[in-house]
Amino acid sequence: MAMINLDGRQVELNPEGFLVDPGVWNDDLALALARQEEGLPALDEQHWAVIRFIRQYYLENQAAPMVRLICKTTGLPLKRIYELFPSGPAKGACKLAGLPKPDGCV
Amino acid sequence: MASLEERIDALTEAQLRHGLEVFRSKLRAAEAAYLNACVHCGLCADSCHYYRTEPALENVPARKLDHVAAAFKRHFTTAGRLVPRLVGARPFDRAMVRAWLDSVFGRCTLCGRCSLNCTIGIGLPRVFRAARAALAAMGLVPDDLQATVDNSLVHGNNMAITKEDWVDTVQWLEEELQMETGDPGARIPLDKQGARVLFTVNPREPKFFPLSLQASAKVFWAAGEDWTLASDPGWDLTNYGLFNCNDEQAGRITQNLVDAMERLGCTTLVIGECGHGFGSARWEGPEWLQRRYPFELCSVLELMDEYLTSGRIAVDPSRNPKPVTLHDPCNLVRHGGVSEPQRRVLRRSVAHFVEMTPSREQSFCCGGGGGQLAMAAYKDRRIRAGGMKAQQIRATGAEIVVAPCHNCIDQLMELNKEYTLGIQVKTVAEMVAEALVTAGPSPSEGKTTT
Repeated sequence: MAMINLDGRQVELNPEGFLVDPGVWNDDLALALARQEEGLPALDEQHWAVIRFIRQYYLENQAAPMVRLICKTTGLPLKRIYELFPSGPAKGACKLAGLPKPDGCV
Repeated sequence: MASLEERIDALTEAQLRHGLEVFRSKLRAAEAAYLNACVHCGLCADSCHYYRTEPALENVPARKLDHVAAAFKRHFTTAGRLVPRLVGARPFDRAMVRAWLDSVFGRCTLCGRCSLNCTIGIGLPRVFRAARAALAAMGLVPDDLQATVDNSLVHGNNMAITKEDWVDTVQWLEEELQMETGDPGARIPLDKQGARVLFTVNPREPKFFPLSLQASAKVFWAAGEDWTLASDPGWDLTNYGLFNCNDEQAGRITQNLVDAMERLGCTTLVIGECGHGFGSARWEGPEWLQRRYPFELCSVLELMDEYLTSGRIAVDPSRNPKPVTLHDPCNLVRHGGVSEPQRRVLRRSVAHFVEMTPSREQSFCCGGGGGQLAMAAYKDRRIRAGGMKAQQIRATGAEIVVAPCHNCIDQLMELNKEYTLGIQVKTVAEMVAEALVTAGPSPSEGKTTT
């Protein structure tokens, strides 16, 4: 079973690096996931704006938002989302926001 | 829900018998013959991307076939019943169910390359699909793969996108298209009754990667095509019933496409850039539904080829100066028979096109096919098996890999990261849209054309 280390505590990940229990998510975990899974050394304000919106949307709807909604809410252009999260909105942004892996061809 | 392992432990004799019956019912005469035909020559080993990247016995296609053939012989042949050890027959018990699961879901993308290189011509994917069907009948499809099928059955698309979200995204893309083309009349029509073309997409496009959909719309705009998308089910071209191998569910998903065609009165169903979606709709759909389609069907690659060949759109390849190579999705090319249209389109649209070696029907699977991308449990094997494709890509020196399949695209993006390939992955439509020099059908002031 894959794990991620957070302040000496081991948090369980699925084989694709998504949190097994989305409920344990917090800011520190997002940062740890960014480093381990996305190769991002730090997260800036734009990363956080995207991550926080996705997290909020997930808690309310139990699903990932459309990328259209991510752009609309954060005011970031689509191309910027792909720059911020090299693995894309699903395997990048949603993973860092602690969502389970979306179904489908992703 | 109980885990897959717990479900196997809890299997009853009646469930095992039912699995076997379903397995037998999916074998036509040819496939039953295949199960006695393997001579263990081993040529298939080197044809398989799993074996090539991890030379273990369990990765040899003939070995995977053996597990399936052993149970067939034990339960459906006289010699297998009377002298099982002499003919390599083994009973269909829990250990065998585990071996089937590991072989046909866990180590196979149903890519068919082994079949093409088999001295006997054994159609391994057909046999493996029958084995998957048996497992499906016993409720043993990996949960994440089944969830994708369930989304299609319940929501009409495999990502459970609501109609409101889908329509909102299409309208947003239409505005983007109008800005990009400078033509306020550029449309992405929804539910246009009687349009010639009903265009279908992969839900991954509206959900996360809409640039490919916008590119396709731009090509239709330039060609002046009479086209539409459907707002209700029938807009999603995917069919994961091809992978869980539950033909009844696959048929229900195909029916969404047929219903949309009939509801909107369109002439031609155009399948967007997708390997399994094309294979499902073009070749399997009529079998699942047991009826001919009352309409025409083609891949959008064939349509774009026609636009370029007839001069309906024009492109300037110098707008795509970087070296480009092309990935051949198994379900589109080896199984689907569409290999040249995308090549003709790319040769016109890009300045520097280089083939992978091998290519076309001998191309290696990217590793994401057969539903692998949806099954998290086999992720490490998927990435390792994708090593063959990564090698092929690197050898071309290309900076852009064009893949006419969204499933392959996702896998290629992961391979790019894992194997540090330094590539961009794009659809054919994205390359064409970039190179377009055709004025749209209703040019407006300020629009730039060359």
